[in-house]
Amino acid sequence: MATTISSLIDAAERGDPSATEALFAALYDELHRLARRELGRHGAPLSLGATTLLHQAYIDMAERDGPSFPDRARFMGYAARVMRGLIIDHARNRRSQKRGGRFEITSLGAEAAGSPVDDRELARISEALEALARTEPVLAEVVDLKFFCGFSFAEIAQMRNVSERTVQRSWEKARIYLHRTLRAAI
Amino acid sequence: MPALDPDRWQVVSSFLDQALAMPEGDRGAWLETLRRQDQALATELEALLEEHRVLSREHFLEEAPELPPGDQALAGRTVGAYTLLSVIGEGGMGSVWLAERSDGRYTRRVAVKFPSIALTSGVGAERFRREGSILGRLSHPHIADLVDAGVTTDGKPYLVLEHVDGTPIDRFCDDRALDLGARIRLFLDVLEAVAHAHANLIVHRDLKPSNVLVTTDGRVKLLDFGIAKLLENEAAGEANPHLTREGAAMTPEYAAPEQLTGGPVTTATDVYALGILLYLLLTGQHPLGSGPHSAADLVKAVVETERPRMSEAAIVASIASKRAATPERLRHHLRGDLDTIVAKALKKDPPARYASVPALADDLRRYLRLEPIEARPDTLAYRTAKFMRRNRAAVTLGTLVVTATAAGIAGTLIEAQRARAQRDFALAQLSRAEATNDFDNFLLSDAAPSGKPFRVNDLLARAEHILDRQQGQDAGRVELLISIGRQYWTQDEDDSSRRVLEKADRLSRGLAEPSVRAKVSCALASTLARGSELPRAEQLIQEGLKEIPDQPQFALDRLFCLMRGSEVSRAAGRSQEAVARAQAAMAALKGSPFESQLLDARLSMDLAESDREMGRYREAISMFEKASEQLALLGRDETQTAGTVFNNWALALEQIGRPLDAERIFRRAIDIGHDDRGEETVSPILLNNYARTLHNLDRLDIAADYAERAYSKALRANDEVVINQSLLERCRIYRKQGNLGRAAEMLSQVEPRLRKDLPPGHSAFSGIASEKSLLAQARGDLTEALSFASQAVALVESSMKAGGSGSYFLPTALTRRAEIEVLLHRDDAAVADAQRALEVVGRNQDPGFHSCVAGRAYLTLGRALQARGESAKSRDMFRKASEHLRSALGPDHPEAVIARQLAEADSRP
Repeated sequence: MATTISSLIDAAERGDPSATEALFAALYDELHRLARRELGRHGAPLSLGATTLLHQAYIDMAERDGPSFPDRARFMGYAARVMRGLIIDHARNRRSQKRGGRFEITSLGAEAAGSPVDDRELARISEALEALARTEPVLAEVVDLKFFCGFSFAEIAQMRNVSERTVQRSWEKARIYLHRTLRAAI
Repeated sequence: MPALDPDRWQVVSSFLDQALAMPEGDRGAWLETLRRQDQALATELEALLEEHRVLSREHFLEEAPELPPGDQALAGRTVGAYTLLSVIGEGGMGSVWLAERSDGRYTRRVAVKFPSIALTSGVGAERFRREGSILGRLSHPHIADLVDAGVTTDGKPYLVLEHVDGTPIDRFCDDRALDLGARIRLFLDVLEAVAHAHANLIVHRDLKPSNVLVTTDGRVKLLDFGIAKLLENEAAGEANPHLTREGAAMTPEYAAPEQLTGGPVTTATDVYALGILLYLLLTGQHPLGSGPHSAADLVKAVVETERPRMSEAAIVASIASKRAATPERLRHHLRGDLDTIVAKALKKDPPARYASVPALADDLRRYLRLEPIEARPDTLAYRTAKFMRRNRAAVTLGTLVVTATAAGIAGTLIEAQRARAQRDFALAQLSRAEATNDFDNFLLSDAAPSGKPFRVNDLLARAEHILDRQQGQDAGRVELLISIGRQYWTQDEDDSSRRVLEKADRLSRGLAEPSVRAKVSCALASTLARGSELPRAEQLIQEGLKEIPDQPQFALDRLFCLMRGSEVSRAAGRSQEAVARAQAAMAALKGSPFESQLLDARLSMDLAESDREMGRYREAISMFEKASEQLALLGRDETQTAGTVFNNWALALEQIGRPLDAERIFRRAIDIGHDDRGEETVSPILLNNYARTLHNLDRLDIAADYAERAYSKALRANDEVVINQSLLERCRIYRKQGNLGRAAEMLSQVEPRLRKDLPPGHSAFSGIASEKSLLAQARGDLTEALSFASQAVALVESSMKAGGSGSYFLPTALTRRAEIEVLLHRDDAAVADAQRALEVVGRNQDPGFHSCVAGRAYLTLGRALQARGESAKSRDMFRKASEHLRSALGPDHPEAVIARQLAEADSRP
């Protein structure tokens, strides 16, 4: 890579739109490669936690890019956004595959009438998040971190350096926004 | 609903922030204020907040989407002490691998199961391990051992199970063409295993042929006990039924109706599944019939349609031959008793099924021995079970306390210390909360085949007996004895309580778990403290608290011991210490793996009740409010538990002299008690409490109605305490209504009953004396009235001095006497008494707090001062009286009206 991830982040934060795009592309590559590596590794776990993946990614990239690599908190914000994309892609692939994969994905605890979120719904959520990110990027980030990546309120609070209650409130607001947006689209 | 455009969102967002930051109860008022400034905005916010409620109920976005699972061979990977060999299978829950010990130490093969759930927090892992170890204690020849439960280094939970090489039971029976008798005998082995698990408070929840294997030598082995529950704890959301999924379609064929409708899962749920299994073994088919069913149809069929009788199932030759019979003979065997047995196991309503697995086994054995079975078309047993549920509610409610009224409309006070609040059975066992509820269900439903209603004490004796018959000295048994001992404690059966707890104490000596020993000590201490063996009790508490290890998984045990310690402190009169211990109990919960909102709510209830008993009414009331909110947040504000909270809360409000507020809360408690048959399940205690408050508010006719209903219910339930209470209440109401003869008659019934049950110095008798005083006054015999009123004061004072309760009655008793003194023109004595009454009230209440107790005292004081000619001061008193009474009783209450008129009257000479 001609430019490092850290310089891309800096540029993106200064408002350079092409840097932002390049950043996401680079992160996507990294995370995807990492995921494949983890899963392909002999003795890998059955399913990868998103948070594990992200932490691993951060460690790898920080090591490579050196001390100027931005701190975890900043990194996570972007990475979580990318993770969202990864997850939706995967969900889409899964749905289009013929049934008969070796492991059935199940959702324990689903209500009798409910069903797990499928890739089309995820895509709609993603669209809605993009819209939300334009007015309140903090809310979109909370959703990325919590819903797509599985970080807890406590972890997010620590990363953002705010109180847990604040994160919870952001989450609730975001949910309201998404719920309304998804409903309106039907 | 229109979408939100970004500009609108910008505006709305900061208001949403505000709304979400405030407690839900305040939002209404805030919206109203907003509406006056900007109606459109307020409407929009209201809609969004409503949407928030909806999406919360739907658990919108609470379940994270799954990441790609590993598709690779894991063979050779080690998990814990085991090495994975090959995949045995993939089920709805995850994948299962054959594995063996890595160190080659011994060669038992195990199955390692990876359920597909994610543990996103450290607490989850710890809880998973702990619950896994609880399940691991289940040891029975017919149950596949859970060898280990753990979490891999990358956060995947796993279970290590005894590997069972066997066939599902239905195939086993078919392969060997076993006849009905042989099948039933094999099934009895299954029942033995399930009964053992239930006795250890573990419900299977997912019984089906693939979980009931039989080895080649005919040994039954049940798999996956309690694992469904273990996994459910980790998944998002609460109380969701565990359903096996294959692909996208659900297979709820073995699910009981309550599992599909989200009701509580209990031992009765296992009974249902066993019924389906038996049906299958006997008829070769599923009661729902063959053929693919859509998920919706299945659910409807399970929840709504009645099962067809076994004998009406389609029996074809192939099925019959696998049962060593012809179709006609098979149908003949299936008719009659077997039909009845299976039908009873498959009833949609859990209480209508076999009460316990041993009950089902007993009937099957009777069938095999050609003896008559117990199962009947069930109306009697059904009603019995229902009755007992109602009876239980009575025991859950708080102490019966009647507060007195005064100023010409005096009442009586009875302190019925015999009925105490039931310390929640499940509190100490909340980590096995459902398990303990199962035990309740187990106990209650193992009811009279003869159809006689059980009293709670009979049930406890039965439970003890059942435990005695069991072998072993394990912690589970001791825990159950502790529960029984505590139940006796709440029933005021101190001798029985002591006996059971001493037994538990002996058994606990042989245990390795210090936490269980500690709990026994503390439970015993609490019983001893009531019998006034205070030094020994305190010693036991201290020993117990020292024994409990300091780790978070013992938080519940610590909590239990601290609450018992609090009871001991209270009994010893050290109320500061009692409060400190109770608060330490609350703190013990924080940050422990058991911290849960439900436990918090229950603890708040317990603390509130404890405060109330100690006379800390203000604290009690705010604790009750907190508990009520917590329950509402959990969506449980219409349960029995909530009913208890409301009752006790309302009682506290009564005691503190706010009957108007109390009436509102009592109403809420009563509304809970109406089930959908329209049949009322409100307990007699509550009815009587309500009657008392209504009486206080001068709604005499309705009060009489409620008191009478309380009385007849209490009679039917044979509830001594409430019979007395309601008699007394009716006495007071009749007196107020002017029916002195009937009032005296009620009183004459109550007094001997109380004398039989209570020690002579008991504060309850002050209530009797007060009542007699009022009757005498109503008859116009003031001398006698004064004498009884003095007796009442003396009794309450001596009771207080002896450490008993009654401090909230003292002001009323004094005011009563002052009243009469005014009528007898003994103004100085009246002033002294009324002032003293106010002083006692002032000690317990903050200034600015309005109560009818204070109000009445002010009223009487005003009258006394007026009689002495101190008109300015007296008018001041009347004004205060009016303020208090208007707030506490309502402005239209006759007493409030009188007070107001007196306050506004011109000064007279």
